[in-house]
Amino acid sequence: MSSVISISKLAKHYQVPEREAGLKAAAKGLFKRTYKTVKAVDGISFEIQPGEVVGFLGPNGAGKTTTLKMLSGLLYPTSGGVSVLDYEPSKRSHDYLRQITLVMGNRNQLSWDLPALDSFDLQRAIYSIPADDFKRTRDEFIEMLDLKDLVQKPVRNLSLGERMKMEIVGALLHKPKILFLDEPTLGLDVTMQKRIRTFIAEYNKRYDATVLLTSHYMADVEALCRRVIVIHHGRLLFDGDLSKLVEKFSAFKTVGFTLSNPVADLSQYGEVVSVDGLRVTMRVPKEKTSAVTTRLLNELVVDDLTVEAIPIEDVIESVFSVQKEAME
Amino acid sequence: MQGFRLAFSYLRIGIMNEFQYRANLYIQILQTFIALATGLIGLNLVFAQTSELGGWNKAELLAVMGVFTITGGVIRAAVQPNMERLMEEIREGTLDYALTKPADAQLFISVREFRLWQMVDVLTGFVVLVVALIQLNWLVDLWSVLGFLSALVMGAVMVYCFWLIITSTAFWFVRVHEIANLFEGLYAAGRWPVDIYPNWLRYGLTFLVPVAFAVTVPAEALTGRLTLQTWLVALGLTVALFIISRVIWRIGLRNYSGASA
Repeated sequence: MSSVISISKLAKHYQVPEREAGLKAAAKGLFKRTYKTVKAVDGISFEIQPGEVVGFLGPNGAGKTTTLKMLSGLLYPTSGGVSVLDYEPSKRSHDYLRQITLVMGNRNQLSWDLPALDSFDLQRAIYSIPADDFKRTRDEFIEMLDLKDLVQKPVRNLSLGERMKMEIVGALLHKPKILFLDEPTLGLDVTMQKRIRTFIAEYNKRYDATVLLTSHYMADVEALCRRVIVIHHGRLLFDGDLSKLVEKFSAFKTVGFTLSNPVADLSQYGEVVSVDGLRVTMRVPKEKTSAVTTRLLNELVVDDLTVEAIPIEDVIESVFSVQKEAME
Repeated sequence: MQGFRLAFSYLRIGIMNEFQYRANLYIQILQTFIALATGLIGLNLVFAQTSELGGWNKAELLAVMGVFTITGGVIRAAVQPNMERLMEEIREGTLDYALTKPADAQLFISVREFRLWQMVDVLTGFVVLVVALIQLNWLVDLWSVLGFLSALVMGAVMVYCFWLIITSTAFWFVRVHEIANLFEGLYAAGRWPVDIYPNWLRYGLTFLVPVAFAVTVPAEALTGRLTLQTWLVALGLTVALFIISRVIWRIGLRNYSGASA
């Protein structure tokens, strides 16, 4: 099968004016500007097959949104190749745009003062969707997301989660083949996140759509994506099965505790991540967690001990540091 | 075809939106009334001193005021709100959604907003115009009606292009909001036919800010002043401005997406 999304050595560099703080520096900037090159995306390559749901991960500023914008034709790449459905996105051909959608969790495109139904009609005009088709899809989505009682209400009267559901319906009415979802569950509560997740999974299955999703919520990624692509500082760090990523880099747990008295050397128990007064955070191999906590409790005077899985950001961070060592 | 559908859909949405804010209608009626009253008082004050201004008599100047009110209403209903939204979106970087739509981007950003209640100005302007024409004992003749309507459309298109050019500079300068105020100030000068101004200002109001074409020229058509030459210049300028504005908009858009970097 040929891939629907294909990126090779893609790069996007920005020239940003640079100046020091202060009035003098600002005045100097009037005459002579110095620019700094920021490499938002710096030579990444990957392929995505039809029907795949891929998690696109990385810490803030890693270049995820920049990549999504290049894929949806909003930004011209500085160098490298992008091809989606055999189109070059930056040409923004209407035939291409009709087959994709971009959802950004922190932005809305529905008309604030009108019921969502009216905004949906607008989407119909924009995408020239045939009336029957439009009605069927709309009602199907409304049903799937349980929005029947809400579509008549002005969007401003909806909760954040309800609004996001409407946004997603609006963004999918033209039944795009490719979905670029940038933090679609941002700021939503757990139930609502789950609802949206289920809907995306269902849409993927029904229409065999390809989804590229970024999210800070590991639960989203776990529920939807078998494959993840991790980038950091604009470079590709990992591309493969989610289970491999977790297995490989999440072999540790975080043990946090508060000591009653300072202890000079804790390294015999595990790797100390941080010490803040008497509060200690430690990284312990997963299989040794119970042994270490037992020892800590027996040998030291400890209050409120906690054991937590390492958050996704830290997993990514550890992917990054491993990668760096490998390169050196 | 799709363009018309799109424009119509947005018009419909815009009208529905405005119906939600009925208070705005009353405010608009009040505003129109005040503007009309001050305009009429000004006109009467001037003609208490003289019977002619730059070759225009009182009834003719009333016609100018009618056109001024109509065009102003159209600009504030359909042009200015779209351009202000565009400025905002460029500044905040939220133009993205508009650019992922399968529609001509310029068309798309030009039809999204419509302020229905500004139509109060348009209606009032027509009433003033009709009163003026009755005072002038004007006889309906096809050529002046066609001249008037075509001049009105060309004037509106020119003002739209002017706005689009200025707004597109937001792609480079980011903060261009003051331009809106500047335009309103300059447009106010269109209340009088541009013939009464000194040369430098007349040229400015004709070719830099196309106020003359938006107001004076349509009024000329109704008062038997419009020459074929002026009409052709207006046509040429409309086409030229449209092309220029489209080019500048496209360069700006390339700049926005980093194609020129």
